[in-house]
Amino acid sequence: MSSGEAHVENSIWMRAVLMGSTFLVIGILAFATMGVGVANMRHHAYEEAVHEYDDAKHDYEEAKLSYENAKANNASTEEIEALKATKDALKDIKDDAHHHEVEAHLSYLTWRTAGITILLMCVTYASFIGLGGFVNSIQPEEDDSHGASSYGGDDHEHHGSASPIVFALGIMLFLMGFPEFQATLSDMLSGNEAELGGLGLSMFGLLVIVLGVSNWWREDLPFIGNGEQIATSAPFEGQHIRKAGLWVFIMSEIMVFATFFSSYLRMRTEWCTGWQVEAGNCEQVDMLTASDFLRPDGAELGGLGGQGDFMTLLPGAINTFALIVSSYTIVLALKTAKNANWEAPTGFMGKLMPTKKAAVRNYLLATLLLGSMFIVLKLIEWSHLVAEGFTIGTQAGSIFYISTGAHGLHVFIGLLVMLYLVFKADTVEFNEDNAQGIEYFGLYWHFVDLAWVVIFPAFYLY
Amino acid sequence: MGEHETHGIIENIFDGLLGKDIYFWNFIILMVFTLFEVAAVFFTGIPLKAVWAILIGVGIVKGYGISAYFMHLKGDPRIYTRTALFPVVFVILMLWGIGLSNPEGVTGLPAWCTPLSADYATNR
Repeated sequence: MSSGEAHVENSIWMRAVLMGSTFLVIGILAFATMGVGVANMRHHAYEEAVHEYDDAKHDYEEAKLSYENAKANNASTEEIEALKATKDALKDIKDDAHHHEVEAHLSYLTWRTAGITILLMCVTYASFIGLGGFVNSIQPEEDDSHGASSYGGDDHEHHGSASPIVFALGIMLFLMGFPEFQATLSDMLSGNEAELGGLGLSMFGLLVIVLGVSNWWREDLPFIGNGEQIATSAPFEGQHIRKAGLWVFIMSEIMVFATFFSSYLRMRTEWCTGWQVEAGNCEQVDMLTASDFLRPDGAELGGLGGQGDFMTLLPGAINTFALIVSSYTIVLALKTAKNANWEAPTGFMGKLMPTKKAAVRNYLLATLLLGSMFIVLKLIEWSHLVAEGFTIGTQAGSIFYISTGAHGLHVFIGLLVMLYLVFKADTVEFNEDNAQGIEYFGLYWHFVDLAWVVIFPAFYLY
Repeated sequence: MGEHETHGIIENIFDGLLGKDIYFWNFIILMVFTLFEVAAVFFTGIPLKAVWAILIGVGIVKGYGISAYFMHLKGDPRIYTRTALFPVVFVILMLWGIGLSNPEGVTGLPAWCTPLSADYATNR
């Protein structure tokens, strides 16, 4: 980070620990109410629906057998007609019962998945912000006797930071150990004997990540906007180095998402999907895409697909709106922070945002909530798709889950960064001098929104 | 983002309209176009080619709105736009060279492209 810093007392960091504890409480409460309370009720309803379907199926099969026997035994026409009418009526009842069973199952999955996802997200939030805050709160208090900066006295000189390198090293260690980490976790979850040593390298990587990030925060928190590094040579001469770096990063991210998209196109051009049949390019559907499960007129194949309606498309549609709204809230956070003549709004908004500090924090908090909602809805939608037979084991499923999962991961990483921004907004305060943090994070967040603009129609609608 | 001044025909129309700035109107336009996008697929009577046109058209408008105004490429120095456009060359190459040039898709990949999943690639 650059110099030109305010002094921040270590005790401030304890608020990060409190913030983490709050998230933990929210996660546990959400899990208890949604993931256990409501989900158990829905599971009970689902079990009843399964019994009703079994009964209806049994009645229908008996009626079908009676009808076929009557036909084989040359029964009277009236008797055969009566048996046929009964069979047809029972078939309708059976189909209704099946529909209710599927609905009840999806409803159960919705609540269960929501509860578990919120819990896991809140535990991650709590660990990330809580551990980072704790590590910084126990550091020796910095000597502030030589002026504003504790990283050097010169406000115009860049002193660099090792934190990104430590952070990158942590990621490398985590990924090196990830295959064993994942295998061990799978064994633990499936009740098999697991080698706990398999978790070691990745856990060490996570520890290094936390240390790197917490040190990065420690360097950034006191930053009051002086001494932002300026590029001195082409092509970014005169521009903020951090901003230029972020754009180069976004450039690389465009390439990453382009690889997913070109892979998808390559696979898709080969498949005979419902769209291709409708366009007259092939005759029989041989592949179901995610949109076949989500759209109202999705194609069917082997008893799968074609179940989509407004409700199945809803989570993806809500997510699209949520990302756009979150893009706007981050714009509002920056606008507010940059506005030296900001005045508190009147009415209800005035109560929400009585001060500039509260306004910036609440806009960021709104962005955090919308992003979190995006992840929860995405996992609910995935659980429904998997339950309906669209798994990662299918060709269309593999590219769908990898692409939308990579996007979801970007959203989640953005949310972790946002946690810190909320913390900074609540403690040091963003203003017209130090709002670069929001601006640069906003660029990343808008890019994530932009990627969704391509992913949503390509994978969910087409 | 919010603090960047832009001056053009669009900005002249929208900036200050009904007391709201360009970012607010950009947000509204994005929301409305997303509604078109979802509605195009939800209403099953719309012809296939029209749905295609709507999805692509809406994507272009939304992409422009986000990058030009929310990411403030329109008010920033040109170098940032050039940086953002630089990978487009590779994106076009990938979409055309990999995505669209081979009608056989994955089954047409040479074996060395799929060393770990030859069966997956050839026996769908």
